[in-house]
Amino acid sequence: MMLSRIADSLFWIGRYMERADNTARILDVNYHMLLEQPPDTYKLRWDPLIAVTGERARFYKTYEEASAQTAFDFLGFSEDNPNSIGQCIVQARENARTIRDRISRELWEDINGLYHKILKLRDANEDLSRFCDAVKRGGHRFHGVCDATLARDEGWHFVQAGCVLERAEMTARILDVHYHQLLEGPEVLNEARSHLWMAVLKSVAAYEFYKRENTQIEPTRVAQLLLLDPRHPRSVRFNTSALQSSLHAISGSIPGTYANEAERLTGKMHEMLTYDSIDEIFAGGLHNYLTELQEMCRNIGDQITRAYLYYAVTA
Amino acid sequence: MSSASAVPSDQAPPDKLLFTDYDPGSFYDEMVAADGTPRPFAASMYEKLAGMPLDVFEERRKLADLSYLVQGITFTVYSDGRGTERLFPFDLVPRIIPRSEWDVVERGLAQRVTALNLYLRDIYGPQRILKDRIIPQHLVYSCKHFRREMVGLHVPRDIYVHVAGIDLVRDSRTGQYLVLEDNARSPSGISYVMENRLVMRRTFPRAFELCEVLPVDHYPAELVKILRSLSPRSGERPVIVLLTPGLYNSAYFEHCFLAQEMGIELVEGRDLVVVDDVVYMKTIHGLTRVDVIYRRVDDDFLDPLAFRAGSLVGVPGLMNAYRAGNIALANAVGTGVADDKAIYAYVPAFIRYYLGEDPILANVETFLGSNPEHLSYILEHLPELVVKAVGESGGYGMLMGPSSDKTTVEDFRAQVIADPRNYIAQPVIPLSRVPSFDPATGGMSARHVDLRPYCLYDGDKVTIVPGGLTRVALQKDSLVVNSSQGGGSKDTWVLRGDE
Repeated sequence: MMLSRIADSLFWIGRYMERADNTARILDVNYHMLLEQPPDTYKLRWDPLIAVTGERARFYKTYEEASAQTAFDFLGFSEDNPNSIGQCIVQARENARTIRDRISRELWEDINGLYHKILKLRDANEDLSRFCDAVKRGGHRFHGVCDATLARDEGWHFVQAGCVLERAEMTARILDVHYHQLLEGPEVLNEARSHLWMAVLKSVAAYEFYKRENTQIEPTRVAQLLLLDPRHPRSVRFNTSALQSSLHAISGSIPGTYANEAERLTGKMHEMLTYDSIDEIFAGGLHNYLTELQEMCRNIGDQITRAYLYYAVTA
Repeated sequence: MSSASAVPSDQAPPDKLLFTDYDPGSFYDEMVAADGTPRPFAASMYEKLAGMPLDVFEERRKLADLSYLVQGITFTVYSDGRGTERLFPFDLVPRIIPRSEWDVVERGLAQRVTALNLYLRDIYGPQRILKDRIIPQHLVYSCKHFRREMVGLHVPRDIYVHVAGIDLVRDSRTGQYLVLEDNARSPSGISYVMENRLVMRRTFPRAFELCEVLPVDHYPAELVKILRSLSPRSGERPVIVLLTPGLYNSAYFEHCFLAQEMGIELVEGRDLVVVDDVVYMKTIHGLTRVDVIYRRVDDDFLDPLAFRAGSLVGVPGLMNAYRAGNIALANAVGTGVADDKAIYAYVPAFIRYYLGEDPILANVETFLGSNPEHLSYILEHLPELVVKAVGESGGYGMLMGPSSDKTTVEDFRAQVIADPRNYIAQPVIPLSRVPSFDPATGGMSARHVDLRPYCLYDGDKVTIVPGGLTRVALQKDSLVVNSSQGGGSKDTWVLRGDE
């Protein structure tokens, strides 16, 4: 027996923690990549990063241009940006605090500890790299503590669903914005092509895995790994499959059938990612494909809310 | 102060200890007698602390503070507009009560809580006490927390106050415990009692081997046993929930803590829905029927259809379900008519009237604004008195005459004259003191304390976990122990015996 409100909080703890983690990753990798680039490419390179987070309009309300400093400010702590790392952690902590009687003491203390640590780093004006490092470690610890201390009940599956749905969407977005940049950007980007793709791989911790099976950096191969590889924990397919398992565990319906719209859409998305080839995807336009995936992720999120978390009052 | 304070600090003996400069002063000190020797029942803990180097004590103090921070045991202060979380200061020196002393307190509390319940059953039932003119009718009906909706409504097992927090103080002049006020709505603080004990056990594990301290951990089990007994559906395993106003309530930590300890669901108003006078909660697999609500939401906000219309933390239709007998509430609605500060003055009379016994615990002498003779006494002696608004709690709406300036006193005078029924006055009680660590001096200083024991009533008997929440006024000379006014807390040790 689980209250919808509690399931909602668990789901969003997963989403916010994952969002904070992904944002720190792209921020950090971009920063390091640009350390070796000529300064005039700064604007070009920081702007897509803001776009990845879906907060471009909000960003330019406050800042004139995207630089390492403004991007760090906006994505790191800004209270005006509901998706900044700081705000994601605040939200995750608020949710955890609300339901602390339902999660392990270790998990609460871990999230609470991360929150206090982030505040400390902010007040100490810590540099971007160390800050992102702390957030990434926090993300890893979060998964570790969940794994080691949470009972494998419905609550666990709501946390999982939040994490993997967020991660699937974030991976698709990262790919989309950089893909866009490669085709439509000015000439100067050509020489940095492989650096950019390497940065993308690193931001999702897939570089080492990629290099094991490929000697050259090729966009189609990178896209194949990040979209279709069933083995890497940050590929869209991997996460869609994990989402499917969690949704079935919650509803109790058998794989191959569906109990609600969220399960049907997830199944459909998984089917696509399993049987579409990368050549077909490029032939139809990678951007179109990525747009469709992001759209599906959003719909699935809405349908999970509708199926489990939201009640139209029946009284 | 002893003459040791005259020694310049660079020549202070390197072995200066926590109690070196301790002065029990002119108030009743619960640990140290007037001649500076520890009271026999507290001697072993006193010796332990007295022999402890300052740096060891400081280290334990830091560990204790850290443990509260890590666990997020904080309360929220809204004065800066943002809602800042603060630690509730905790003092490591326990307040120690010998068994024979506690036995008297316990019997006195049981008597009082039983009488309060009989009074409520009477007021919302036959009203014999009004007909017999033991208490003025107008005083009851004019009480802000009197609920007309409750008249003639049968509550499960005739229990109104399942949980009471009775505030006690100890008068330095006599050493007697007195009842300062009753909290019969939803008293908070029990989670601190349990967490303080946990922290003390970690901080001074050996002391618990030395002193035989009675446990407090069984509180949630006792409470949930009572809640279970209230279920309107027999045979089935009742579904019990704790209703909280939510995360932003200052006692939210306690709500979580109790729900978890009792193994019941923590719900907010929006998690519940009433359909055909039955209460349900919204789960991921549909609606589940609820039988008992331990509510930590005030009457006013409980049901927007019955009480305050704009309430978002309540449950529309809850009162109808209650009236239909489909849901049990603890505490019952309308118990505020028992803990009103003007009604308080009559509790000793209730005890005589309903139980035919003399009160074991006395009240603090109280003057009622509603009584013309008392009123003129209040107005004449305002600067010497403590004046309280009858329906408030938590140290709000209160005048501390002796420590207030003239303007404040005159402001209050105007308020009392404008609405006499709303005020009572009491003489200032010289509260007993307990040694407490003073970071400013690095030693122990005597600080004033009060005590809130938590009483559970199951319809037949009253169960009280030994001790309760000792609140301490950490500021020098202060008599105000509320957390919002610089108060802190201590662990309260009731000993298995008198030694």
